[in-house]
Amino acid sequence: MQLKSALAAAALGAVLWTATPAPAPAASFVEVGKQAPITILINASPWYAGFEKAVDLYSQQTGNKVDLDVTPYGGMLEKARNAVRGGTSPYDLLNLDGGWTIEFYEGGFLKPLNDIDAGFTVPKELLSCGNTHYWNAAKRFRTPDGGKLMGVPPNCNVHILAYRKDLYDKAGLSAPKTYDDVLAACQKIQSPPNMYGFVARGERGNSIRYDFSTFMIGHGGEIVANPQEGDFTVTVNSPQVLAALNQFITLMKTCGPGNYGSIGQADMIQLMASGKAAAVQAVIAAWSNFEDKTKSAVVGKVAAAPVPAAVAGKKPGVVIGNWSFAVPKNTSDDKAKAAIAFLKWFMSPEAQRAYAEAGGIPVRVDTLKSDLASKPQFSWMPAYLDSVEASVASLGYAEAAAVEAAFGLRLNQALIGEMSPAKALNTAAGEIEAIFAKSGRKTGKLAPLPE
Amino acid sequence: MKPPSSGFLDRSFPYWTLLPAVIVFVVLSVYPMLNLVGMSLHVYRFEGGQEIATFNPWQNFSYFSGDPIIRPAIVNTIVFVLVAVSAEMAIGLALAICVSRVSRGKGLIRTLIILPILVPPVAIGSMWRLMYNFDFGILNQGAALLGLGPINWLGDPRFSLLSVIIVDVWHWVPFIFLILFAAVEGLPGDVMEAAKIDGATQGQTTRYVVLPLLKPAIVVAFTFRSILAFKTFDEVFLLTSGGPGTSSELISLHLYKVFFQQNNLGYGAMLSITVILMVVSFLLVSRRVTAAQAQG
Repeated sequence: MQLKSALAAAALGAVLWTATPAPAPAASFVEVGKQAPITILINASPWYAGFEKAVDLYSQQTGNKVDLDVTPYGGMLEKARNAVRGGTSPYDLLNLDGGWTIEFYEGGFLKPLNDIDAGFTVPKELLSCGNTHYWNAAKRFRTPDGGKLMGVPPNCNVHILAYRKDLYDKAGLSAPKTYDDVLAACQKIQSPPNMYGFVARGERGNSIRYDFSTFMIGHGGEIVANPQEGDFTVTVNSPQVLAALNQFITLMKTCGPGNYGSIGQADMIQLMASGKAAAVQAVIAAWSNFEDKTKSAVVGKVAAAPVPAAVAGKKPGVVIGNWSFAVPKNTSDDKAKAAIAFLKWFMSPEAQRAYAEAGGIPVRVDTLKSDLASKPQFSWMPAYLDSVEASVASLGYAEAAAVEAAFGLRLNQALIGEMSPAKALNTAAGEIEAIFAKSGRKTGKLAPLPE
Repeated sequence: MKPPSSGFLDRSFPYWTLLPAVIVFVVLSVYPMLNLVGMSLHVYRFEGGQEIATFNPWQNFSYFSGDPIIRPAIVNTIVFVLVAVSAEMAIGLALAICVSRVSRGKGLIRTLIILPILVPPVAIGSMWRLMYNFDFGILNQGAALLGLGPINWLGDPRFSLLSVIIVDVWHWVPFIFLILFAAVEGLPGDVMEAAKIDGATQGQTTRYVVLPLLKPAIVVAFTFRSILAFKTFDEVFLLTSGGPGTSSELISLHLYKVFFQQNNLGYGAMLSITVILMVVSFLLVSRRVTAAQAQG
């Protein structure tokens, strides 16, 4: 009897063992071995939860310790600066906003990744993210052409058009393909102040400069002629940029709320999440706010479309606003190697999938094209991939902060009516030319637009 | 018999006792100021992880003369200081006199009045930004009840600086109130009683007795508040970031952008010295005016 019971128990155990799905083997992730503990400076962002879970998974799988210093955006730059300018950096990986990278590259504050590990490469499936993680010191420009690999992007932040599919369907409208479509749709749907047809950021500075860029590039305009080849002739007062600015102002004033000149990212997200906007031009990182039941009144009602074209028949103008993981120069060799090990793991397909499932924005094309894209919660993936593949990096030079401050102010003044669009662009051109002249660039500007 | 040097030691002893305080003062105040002046004369760049300073004051002067923001920032700062501090002085003084005449519950009223000064500036910025919100703010909801259209508090250049001033007044009136209330409470009772016996009305007592006696406290409160108002940063940073356009740009905010966003350390130091000179000039003019009034 005892033998029978033992055999039955063994048989049952065998059945249960074979019936239970095996946990995903750790071997399917990149094997990085035992590494020194590292600390990462990371921003508190809508995609942070996904990153945190990916880091937890890394620690579980490898036993390697990773500490995260989660910091609001406003404090990130100062922490990063203090870390690299001191004796030994408290961080082994810095998450740098694309706009800050040049200061760190040019100041020599970072270790090129191949100086740490000569064989380190980024996978071919990784999104190029405007190649903002390469630095050509001779050209003082971010480019892989002669440039060194300085970092790895954890997030390629680009615009998408988030729109209320329920309202569009009800009005018999399809996803807008051009800004003229957006204008036509907004005039059909909007009912201010209860419903605004289209909202984008008009706040002075980075906000308006970044959101206006999709119009400017879509019209074939640029701030500078050819910075990569050293031609810093200012082209911001071209007829193309003027046409873009007029289109931008028309949309903002016709379709947006009355405070269009002071709308920042938080205001725009709030309007969409509260159900007061029919469409917003948002960065992909903002998407989770629309699908979070604790924050949004429009869960399941928002769809994503690629950035509309500014001119029918032309490519849309999409601008990269990504982040970059970089290794400070003043961290120890073993920690720098541990940071590289983490980056290798993080870029693997399995890790990127886990990152996406936990709310992150993956940076691998194969993850974005995987079966995840067909699931409702990842419905943004195709639009995001379209936008990111059409995207370009902007302000890839050392004077970027000063140029953005000047341009962002004049755009805002044109929007609120303090200056005519032509005068704003002529003024910006003069100021930007002066900025380049002070730093010894080969510069100039176009003939002024008639004011 | 005294040693020959004891006379010198005795005479100089008081000065030696000052030495620790002088060292602390030099390290904490004089050195940073001299360092700031030195920075304003240099242009900074970073190479190979090292800071490289080049003596080139003209470069920073050229930034200053070609800076399109500096003029509106200085004008806005002067308007902000004059309007905000005047309003705070008037309201703080009125509250101090009124509360001093209350016979019951004075402590409770005083506590309620000083509450805004206890709120952290970041919370004040967030709270008022929400209240000023164009679509959801309580102020515009109130305006709608009165049949008024939504007011673009933070996004209209005509209102943006005024909106920041309103928040500043709300925040800092308690500071003025506290100083002046203490002064009112400390006024000599016999003088007040004499005024009453002489048949002075409350208005006459305030005009001819209370205000002259409060003058030293008013000058102190005005001086402190003006110095702080010139350096206002947090409220304007959180509410408008200087916009729209340059309508609410203040000099401290511009300094922050140059120093920390544009990483232009030399010019940022020059702007810091500009703020210091503005405060000193303002205080000198104020003292002259006060002295002239006292003589007149």
